[in-house]
Amino acid sequence: MIRGAIAIFKRDFKKFLGNPYVLVFTLLMPIMYLVIFGNAMGGTISHVPIGVVQEGPPYTETPLFSSSVEELIHIQPQKDNPRLFDVAVYTDETIAKRDLSEGRISGVVVFPSEVSRDHAIRLYLDSSDYMVPTLVQSGVGAALAKTGSHNPVQVNKIYGDIKYIQFFGVGVIVMAIFMTTMMGGGIALIKDREMGIHEGYLVTPVKRSSIILGMISSGTVRAFLAGFIIFIVGILITGIIMRSVEDFLLVLFVIFIASIGVTSLMVSVASRFSNQQEYASTTAFFNLILFMTSGAFYPTIGMPDWLRWITLINPEWYSVHALRSIILRGQGLEVVGADLVALLIFSILAISLGILTYRRTLE
Amino acid sequence: MPLSDEPATNHPPRGDKVMRGGTAHSSGSGACLTPPAESIIRIEHITKIFKNRQTVVAVDDVTFEVQRGEIFGLLGPNGAGKSTLIRILTTLLQPTSGTACVDTYDITRDPEKIRGIIGVCPQNSTLDVELTAYDNLEFYGKLVNVDDDTLDARIWQLLKMADLADRAHMKVQTFSGGMRRKLEIVRAFIHHPLILFLDEPTIGLDPESRREVWEQIASLNAEKTTIILTTHYMDEAEKLCYRIAFVDKGRLIALDVLENLKRLIPAGDLLEIGFETMNEGVVSSIRQDGLINSVEVKEQKLVISAKTGAGCCLPLLQSLKNFPFPSPPSPYTRRRLRTCSST
Repeated sequence: MIRGAIAIFKRDFKKFLGNPYVLVFTLLMPIMYLVIFGNAMGGTISHVPIGVVQEGPPYTETPLFSSSVEELIHIQPQKDNPRLFDVAVYTDETIAKRDLSEGRISGVVVFPSEVSRDHAIRLYLDSSDYMVPTLVQSGVGAALAKTGSHNPVQVNKIYGDIKYIQFFGVGVIVMAIFMTTMMGGGIALIKDREMGIHEGYLVTPVKRSSIILGMISSGTVRAFLAGFIIFIVGILITGIIMRSVEDFLLVLFVIFIASIGVTSLMVSVASRFSNQQEYASTTAFFNLILFMTSGAFYPTIGMPDWLRWITLINPEWYSVHALRSIILRGQGLEVVGADLVALLIFSILAISLGILTYRRTLE
Repeated sequence: MPLSDEPATNHPPRGDKVMRGGTAHSSGSGACLTPPAESIIRIEHITKIFKNRQTVVAVDDVTFEVQRGEIFGLLGPNGAGKSTLIRILTTLLQPTSGTACVDTYDITRDPEKIRGIIGVCPQNSTLDVELTAYDNLEFYGKLVNVDDDTLDARIWQLLKMADLADRAHMKVQTFSGGMRRKLEIVRAFIHHPLILFLDEPTIGLDPESRREVWEQIASLNAEKTTIILTTHYMDEAEKLCYRIAFVDKGRLIALDVLENLKRLIPAGDLLEIGFETMNEGVVSSIRQDGLINSVEVKEQKLVISAKTGAGCCLPLLQSLKNFPFPSPPSPYTRRRLRTCSST
């Protein structure tokens, strides 16, 4: 019994050591988890963009306004920490609110004019985000307390109360797309290669581009179905309310474009691998980086700059942003258009990469 | 798929020996465009070296031609480089050096064109076992541009040829090895290729299935398809091939029509005698016998090639008697002598 066990141990261990690629990735994974998860989730949120504006007319600055703005600019959660707010001063309340609804700023503080009846300070919050609205609210409260004003504060959450599960639920749709592509598309492709089915393709006149496009389209349909099912399940579980049929169709469209983007990326990656283990460890790595920086869990504003930089080239970030804009904020094509363009550019690059790197020979 | 316009004769006139190094064309840009009418594949000094920790020379400076319409056999032991050669000709591998032309195309410059005129049945199955036999053929037919109008009829024709018509809609994973092999072979010529490559077509098949595959190959050749097959079974090459190339350790050892190759092999029988110790005089004594072609000492064996095994057994024993052996012949020696047989 012991002899057999030792023989099996030796064989497994030889294979483990014989594949340095997998070895490196298995060791790298926990380290990357530490660095990326730690930074993505544990980062201090700072430099939250907010707008301040004073009601008018008359437009003369009140002492309350100037002293509060001063406090808001300089408020720090703790000593030596970066500033909490990046304050933009607006002269027109409607412009400030428009910027808020388009996601450029996370909150607007409207100060009363001199002739105001109740002298109430109104705070408008982008409640579709996680953590940030609470932070803005408490920050504004602290700043006002320092000025010694006793004006009442009215808080308006412009998208109503959004629970974390709703915030996160949108991210899960993108996760479903990624998982389906990784398991279904990528692994299936490599299994075909291992089984020699690709060798069969390679001696036929079928073009590299046909092989890649064929695999991407089948993967896209599968990923779309997965995204669609999770979207429906998400509606039922999290209690998201779709505002109109147009919104619903727009969500499906975004899921479809996101599926193309993620599938082309995975097929391009998979077309270079001939070994399931190597592929699996690489995609686990991709999954970690892309999902963590997608903003699905946690606002990207809390991440360090180097990590936030990845969101710029992360198709999942654009997908999450677009889906959140439609589902949680009820925004339309005017906001998600840019995300869709980014996803399409990304897909085209990934497809070209896949076609260029697909090996036409067995070497 | 149009067949060649050349008046392809199935078996070209015998006696035209093409030995290695015997080609007259120079390699170069136009070499493939003006092929001599009778040759369909021309390989010139092809070498393939795999560098992967250890350097392996899989194909070592091989030159030969394959004639239009013949069944050409690549014969050799495992690891001789047959499959590598096939993979180079079917554009799956690039040669390290040398050139080869398939029909009028250069394998390194026009691989796409070559893929359109060849059919390949590789050594390891490339069937999708999760699909049915019909689906496998349909899928492949579409990859090789078989016309949609004729595809269905062609598939049924092939399934009948492979004796699988009643299994058309069953998954390939339920098939036996022989059925899979037959399916893979018919799949390779679904588009009526000009040249068909069969890498070990009958490996692992029972005698009955082998015979069926041979019949299939022969009937295809009757349709003017040039067939190149690799095998390590002598009988298979003998049964099917017009010309045969012997390959070993990456090198071309001999290439000729079957009869000429047989003449190269000494006629008669091969005798083996085991021994423990050898007296120097024995070998030269045996050589004097007129019936003996050659005597070789290999490890603990005497390998004797004789014109007739039966006729020389007795004189052989007589001459062995003349030598004093240090110890009485071991039981092994005696047994070997008694079974003094022809191989």
